[in-house]
Amino acid sequence: MKLLLIEDDERMADFIRRGLKEHGHVVDHAANGKDGLFLAASEKYDALIIDRMLPELDGLSILKMLRAAGNHVPAMFLTTMAGIDDRVEGLEAGADDYLVKPFAFAEMLARLGALMRRPPANDVKTELRVGDLEIDLLKRVVRRAGKEIDLQPQEFKLLEYLMRSEGRIVTRTMLLENVWDFHFDPQTSVVETHISRLRSKIDKGFETELLKTMRGIGYSLRA
Amino acid sequence: MLSRRIFKTVSFQLTAFYSLIFAICFFVLLLTSYVTTTAALRSQMQAEISGQLNAMVSEAETEGLDTIVQDIKERSSQAGSAAGYFFLSDGTGKKLAGNLAGISMKDGWREAGLSDSSVAALGNRSDEDHQIWGQGVHLSDGSFLLVGQDAFRALSAQEAIINSFALSAGAAFLLATLAGVIVSRRFLGRIDDINNTSLAIIDGHLKERIPVRGTSDEIDRLSMNLNRLFDSNQSLLEILKQVSANIAHDLRTPLTRLRQGLEEASSKSGSLRAYKVAIDAAITESDQLLATFAALLRIAQIDSGSRKAGFKHVDLTSIIGRVADAYGAVAEDQGKKLVTNLTPKIYFVGDGELLLQMFANLTENAIRHTPSGTQISVTIENVASGIIASIADSGPGIPEDQREKVFEHFYRVDAARATAGNGLGLALVSAIAKLHGIQIALLDNGPGLKVMISFPS
Repeated sequence: MKLLLIEDDERMADFIRRGLKEHGHVVDHAANGKDGLFLAASEKYDALIIDRMLPELDGLSILKMLRAAGNHVPAMFLTTMAGIDDRVEGLEAGADDYLVKPFAFAEMLARLGALMRRPPANDVKTELRVGDLEIDLLKRVVRRAGKEIDLQPQEFKLLEYLMRSEGRIVTRTMLLENVWDFHFDPQTSVVETHISRLRSKIDKGFETELLKTMRGIGYSLRA
Repeated sequence: MLSRRIFKTVSFQLTAFYSLIFAICFFVLLLTSYVTTTAALRSQMQAEISGQLNAMVSEAETEGLDTIVQDIKERSSQAGSAAGYFFLSDGTGKKLAGNLAGISMKDGWREAGLSDSSVAALGNRSDEDHQIWGQGVHLSDGSFLLVGQDAFRALSAQEAIINSFALSAGAAFLLATLAGVIVSRRFLGRIDDINNTSLAIIDGHLKERIPVRGTSDEIDRLSMNLNRLFDSNQSLLEILKQVSANIAHDLRTPLTRLRQGLEEASSKSGSLRAYKVAIDAAITESDQLLATFAALLRIAQIDSGSRKAGFKHVDLTSIIGRVADAYGAVAEDQGKKLVTNLTPKIYFVGDGELLLQMFANLTENAIRHTPSGTQISVTIENVASGIIASIADSGPGIPEDQREKVFEHFYRVDAARATAGNGLGLALVSAIAKLHGIQIALLDNGPGLKVMISFPS
């Protein structure tokens, strides 16, 4: 995939660029807002990674200008902790995701993956399937190998998100944001508890394990 | 220095302005009374003189000129000016009688100085200050008669008026200036108090306060408000000091641990696996540090009040419901029970995300700091005084003397020190509550702790 990184901090940019290249992505880098806007507007990218604070032209302005010009390339904002609460502002400006520095690189990769495979808004699938696990979103029924599984509402929501992200890694933060709409880090094991309950219902007693734990990174649902 | 500043004070300038207005009024009053008094005196003298003249004329016409010649001679010989001045000449202009000389023979009213060449007083009267006011007339036989009086009476009355006014105006002006100086000095003294106190506080004497006289006038109220400002600044500074001290203390330990771990890994030529373990430990340690920083920044941001701009109508019941849904399973896995009793659709104007975090933190606290078997009950209801939510547990509770302290940054109840946590959870709750005007009370649940959350109506 072809990515554009707009980041003024040399060490940060180098770290991200090397990491993304190792994972097979092509990365262009702009060290200031002006160059970034020029590249973003003139080249075709699969996704943009934009630092909020940039010399010459800040990230928010770049994205607003791109969106105003009808450019809808997926974009992810990077921000320092001080900007923890301008997440809403960033999303309103047209960002698709928001990552707070410092972050684990796996988190960035997982989120980029989610960004680029985000289905179009008009895609209204009501039935999802991973291996022999099926979910009917309208009837709210879950079956594995034809056998109906009884899930609590939270577990159902969690499974729905995991099935929509089939084959990709989702991090703990992504689950907190998308399943519970929690934008803070809980001090208790909310995610782990629900994952383990879901796993015991959909995987226990079956030969293949669908819900996999990626140690230190997150979870993945795949056949 | 002080005397020069007095002229620049508002109160002195006001006094000076009023003095000026006063002086102008005084002058107008003086002028009017001067003019009217003079006019009255003059018309009185005119009436007197023309009365005398008319009497002498009719006497001369009926009894002949000789009668008044005799009359004039008698009157002129009297001492003093009270008797008046006279002049009589025959038709050819030859003086027949009188104590004046060199008179122009014109009919009508005249006012002339005694030294004027046209009017020369005979005898010993040569006082230049005196004026003669008089009236002349030609008799039917062509002779000319002038009767006059010394105008001293009228003139001295005028002078008296002017003198008395000048004197009293001077006194009044002096008094006004004196009053201005005294009022300004008093005013300046109090301004000086304020200035000196401010300077003392700038110099680091934070406990200094402006003296208040208890008169509750403007300066008193200003002083009281400034004192309140100083109070709140002082307490903010103390909090800041406390927080920096706490940060230094609480972050030093994990930072030291992080450094030691890395040093140890670096000095030992360990296996790849040992390095990995050391690195993972360092990452965990730094993540915790970052989380603490993030929490501190978040508290600071909430304290700044900037999020008030984004307040909206939010459904508190659904927020608490989401928290209960998320943590119900967590509680159950730890052998505790989370029960709810929620009145549906209770709305409140606030920041939904922050309120969610507030309830989440309080619920997590109830789960984390209680033993297995504890029941945690979460409620929200509308009562007469407003919206009340509560999170109650049957755990060990918090000793009464520590209940206030738990809301402070980094404060941890002794029993909680063994549990992981940064000691900022309740400080964050407190900041969120303050932003929304929410009252949080920690009560005894007998046994356990009951957190009572009262929303403002």
